[in-house]
Amino acid sequence: MVYKSEKSLIRENLSGFKKFTLGAFVTLSAAIIGLSPAVLTAGDNGPCIECHTKPDKLKTAEKAKINPVTGEIKVVSMVIDEVTFKASAHGGEDFFCIDCHQDLDGVDLTDGHKPNLKPVDCITFCHDDPADEYLQSSHVKLMKEKNKDVPTCKDCHAGVTYHYTSLGEKSPRDVPRGTDPLHRKLTIDSCGECHQEYLDSYRNNAHGQVTALGHTDTDVPVCFDCHGKHKILNSADPESKVGKERILETCGSCHANANASFVKHVEHPQIKNLNYYKKLLAAVKNARSNPADLKTLLKNPQTILCVVFVMYIGILAFTFSAFGLHSLLSWFAVARDELKRKGHADEEQH
Amino acid sequence: MSLKERGMQMKSSINYVRFSLFHRFCHFLIIISFFGLVLTGMPLAFRSYGWARWLYELFGGYPTAGFIHRICALITFFAAFIHFLFLFICVSVQKRKGFFWGPGSLLIQPRDIFDIVGDIKWFLGIGKRPDFDQWIYWEKFEYLSLMWGTLVMAVTGLILWFPVQFTKIIPVSVASVVDLPGIALIIHRYEAILAAGFIFTIHFFHTHLLPEKMPVDEAIFTGKITEAEFRHERLNQFKRLESQRQLENYKVAPPSLFVSFLTRLFAVPILITGLLMVGFMFSALLVWAI
Repeated sequence: MVYKSEKSLIRENLSGFKKFTLGAFVTLSAAIIGLSPAVLTAGDNGPCIECHTKPDKLKTAEKAKINPVTGEIKVVSMVIDEVTFKASAHGGEDFFCIDCHQDLDGVDLTDGHKPNLKPVDCITFCHDDPADEYLQSSHVKLMKEKNKDVPTCKDCHAGVTYHYTSLGEKSPRDVPRGTDPLHRKLTIDSCGECHQEYLDSYRNNAHGQVTALGHTDTDVPVCFDCHGKHKILNSADPESKVGKERILETCGSCHANANASFVKHVEHPQIKNLNYYKKLLAAVKNARSNPADLKTLLKNPQTILCVVFVMYIGILAFTFSAFGLHSLLSWFAVARDELKRKGHADEEQH
Repeated sequence: MSLKERGMQMKSSINYVRFSLFHRFCHFLIIISFFGLVLTGMPLAFRSYGWARWLYELFGGYPTAGFIHRICALITFFAAFIHFLFLFICVSVQKRKGFFWGPGSLLIQPRDIFDIVGDIKWFLGIGKRPDFDQWIYWEKFEYLSLMWGTLVMAVTGLILWFPVQFTKIIPVSVASVVDLPGIALIIHRYEAILAAGFIFTIHFFHTHLLPEKMPVDEAIFTGKITEAEFRHERLNQFKRLESQRQLENYKVAPPSLFVSFLTRLFAVPILITGLLMVGFMFSALLVWAI
């Protein structure tokens, strides 16, 4: 906690510092910028925008970025779409390019700046809170304990680099917000890249079928609405947003008066998951040697859902084959009679 | 047969009442609500297909399509309510006989078994078309499955509409094994596919799109059938009414050409919509199977 308060102190000081520098530059702006237009200073994005909106003014308009963990290489455009940047979370009046790209502070631009900047540090001075939460999540626990590759900031927030838009990157928006429908839609796919089975079962539920049709506003939940954004915990953890202690509150945030029975609803039905049926069959087979297995499965609400689903597939198959055949046969029988009748009518006419 | 030809034939022949205004109105209500329900609900069941998105957006997307769906559900409830009110008045107040037993009943009767056997013989070309009474066995099946289907859809639909209220009435111990909204969603989805598929193929091809009726059996809209149709389709009923000397009571003037035209103007686009819909649904099955 102490660590946290120190950090926020630094942040406050920083913003104070920012205001001071801004004030200084307001009074001296004309002189300084006029005398040395080739030196980058805080308080002015002009020199950056001048080149970074025009690919032909840049020595390198595209750059390869290598992911240090996966070794994946991405081509990133160095061109900024000014309008998109200004509309982004970092595009307000208070933000300047070198707030993030700090190693460019005071750089002489006469020959252009060196091409390789240090990676932007989002956490130290600004985003320490979400980082703190993220470090407590089940993802990080998995990384620490089982040495697994887990998503880190930029895997989900790839959009942060989107002010280098238009070429190469996958999201057409800049820095994503939790309320932005497009961002919400993209997060479903991001989570689904690893949690495919959960994405599939989500699609079979009431919430997932609506988002599948393209409606991803805040009135229909996507993954992070129920599971949390940074501090995502395993559902077995009582402190998880879908855990025992908080599920009422989580469901209740949309469903007023959600009750203890209501929150037992299965959000990820296994009705189309072959593995669940295999498990069921195996448990039935071993019912004598290991009755406990079958008992737990029978107590699992998924089992009834699967039985109902299979029953309906049976009803559908039977109804359409039996009555389909019946209506085909009766259709052809009527056609046959009609032809005969017409034949007779023709004979009578002749 | 062109409309003009049919019109000539109708004008020249004797017509009988087959459906009262009440029954025609109920059928009309069911058409309107059923199509509203299917067109706004089916996209959810076929959510991963392009046509489903297009259709859902056409009806206003979320939540507008959902509102339309619920309004149509209320129309269905209303139709079911007045239907059972009608049955209640007929049986309890007017003391009319023959609703539960006899040739005029929509419930399964022993003679239906003979009709089924006779029909199969006719299909196979080893017998002539059986002489049916007022309700043919598959018409009874359609009626009964409509009643059952409406009940199932209404109950599961209401659970999905008010999930919090419905789960409140079951204890937690039961709810952790029996997921009421989850079961309701699965039943609602597949019963809907069953109902829509059934109406748009089997009902359509049994009733409206038969070679002798194509494109529409106008009786359910005009309420009238010609004597030739009556004798051909339901000879037993015709003979029964004749012997009871009641036939005269059923005689009416033939429907005007204008009414006939209006019927087609209304029914043909609806039939095409249904066929397109079932085509989309069937294509999804093919995509899934391949």
